[in-house]
Amino acid sequence: MSAKVITVTSGKGGVGKTTVTANLATALAMKGRKVVAMDSDIGLRNLDVVMGLENRIVYDLVDVIEGRCRLRQAMIKDKRLPELYLIPAAQTRDKMAVSPSDMVLVCDQLREEVDYVVIDSPAGIERGFRNALAPADSVIIVTNPEVSAVRDADRIIGLIEAEEKGPANLIVNRLKPSMVARGDMLSIEDILEILAIDLIGVVPEDEAILVSTNRGTPVAMNATNSASASQAFRNVADRLEGDTVPLIDFNARDGFLTRLRSLVGSPK
Amino acid sequence: MLIPTMVQTIPKISIKGVRDGLLIRLGPGGFGEVLDELASELALKKGFFRGSRVILDVEARLLEREQIKMINELLETNEITLWTVLADRAETRDVARNLGLATRLAGSNVDLDGKIIEETITKSKVVSNGSAALEKGHSSNSLLLQETLRSGRSISHEGHIIVIGDVNPGAEVIAGGNVLVWGKLRGLVHAGAFGDDSAVICALEMVPTQLRIADQIAISPGEKQKSPAPELVSIRDGQLVAENWDTRR
Repeated sequence: MSAKVITVTSGKGGVGKTTVTANLATALAMKGRKVVAMDSDIGLRNLDVVMGLENRIVYDLVDVIEGRCRLRQAMIKDKRLPELYLIPAAQTRDKMAVSPSDMVLVCDQLREEVDYVVIDSPAGIERGFRNALAPADSVIIVTNPEVSAVRDADRIIGLIEAEEKGPANLIVNRLKPSMVARGDMLSIEDILEILAIDLIGVVPEDEAILVSTNRGTPVAMNATNSASASQAFRNVADRLEGDTVPLIDFNARDGFLTRLRSLVGSPK
Repeated sequence: MLIPTMVQTIPKISIKGVRDGLLIRLGPGGFGEVLDELASELALKKGFFRGSRVILDVEARLLEREQIKMINELLETNEITLWTVLADRAETRDVARNLGLATRLAGSNVDLDGKIIEETITKSKVVSNGSAALEKGHSSNSLLLQETLRSGRSISHEGHIIVIGDVNPGAEVIAGGNVLVWGKLRGLVHAGAFGDDSAVICALEMVPTQLRIADQIAISPGEKQKSPAPELVSIRDGQLVAENWDTRR
């Protein structure tokens, strides 16, 4: 087995890196893959909270790196799925406790054992980001349909290209189709025009995310309707596995009349 | 830096392209700090500097033989050749010479004290000299970049700059001469940065964050153009004016 190491990053904070990491890892595990989700946000961890595994932490990433435990001991098994593991970050240390080469070493060990390592990156472009990027085979950039998030994503993509890491794929998170339709939100086309990288998923704004984050159950675990964030994450997992899945048509939820109007082209 | 207004803090390291190669200037701070900063700066722009030769300007800093060797090793691992060390202090120059490095720029107007070429093209001097002295500075020297410049990239060059690709918001291009963008210009461009007000900026699509020519600054109107067309921006009557390329003749 040789795992694919995917780093999820964004530059800007609060765009949904941790949510994407948790849900992608979950969705890949639901497809029967052996997956490790790794939190590289040393000192500000929360992947464990989002995945609902906080109270089971004994050892963390820094313990592994500093030799206080074996790698297997820091891998917390998610009992809801057959082969999903979390390696949490240390909360009482800072980014300098880990170096990029430490991350490469840990991931090289994991490569022999699992199918995917999904790394949650901290916000920013400093040491923590470099740690998360160092072992990556491919990168997922998360952005929101707003100018500041897109600007930071552009910066991050530039850094990734300079490091010759890649390919970088894009997830647009928290899209509100109705706002795009009114012209109040950047459209997917607007974002791709600036960033010019491959789009691997569009995730709609969905209240279910907040609920699931608080409960510690990634939305990908629950099958809901076809235009939900849950479905969008599972589609990204399919695409990572090499399947061709069309993007969700968010406008399909509109009534028959709206669709008819958009066909005819009259103003809404 | 070329633009005095942009100098808020003195960076530990400044790297820029000059006619004779790459000019790396060491700023204030402990040697270890400065070396780390240089290492990370080089790592950041690895591909960009590969194969270039370096003029190291250490200013008044006193460098020992071992320290220059460390810098040389760092540059070599980045496939960059250390060529000249410019130093205010005679001791440092002696050490550099003993290591087989040049300590002045041949054929340029750097004097024996190691004061560098760029110092003669400071903005105040430009005002008194007019643009004639600058003409030779950028007439024969262009930098071609065949890539999209993303946010955070900063390109400065004393001659003309040609970008085949887009200049994204958050990227900056600073040229002593003209700037031509064969793509969308959405970021910041400064042409004629040494004060040449005859410099021009051209782009296939002109939607910049900000444009500067010499000491004139302009921002774009902000509205989205319906059918973007190539435009040329120049100074007319002391103001930046954009003209549609197709209709200007």
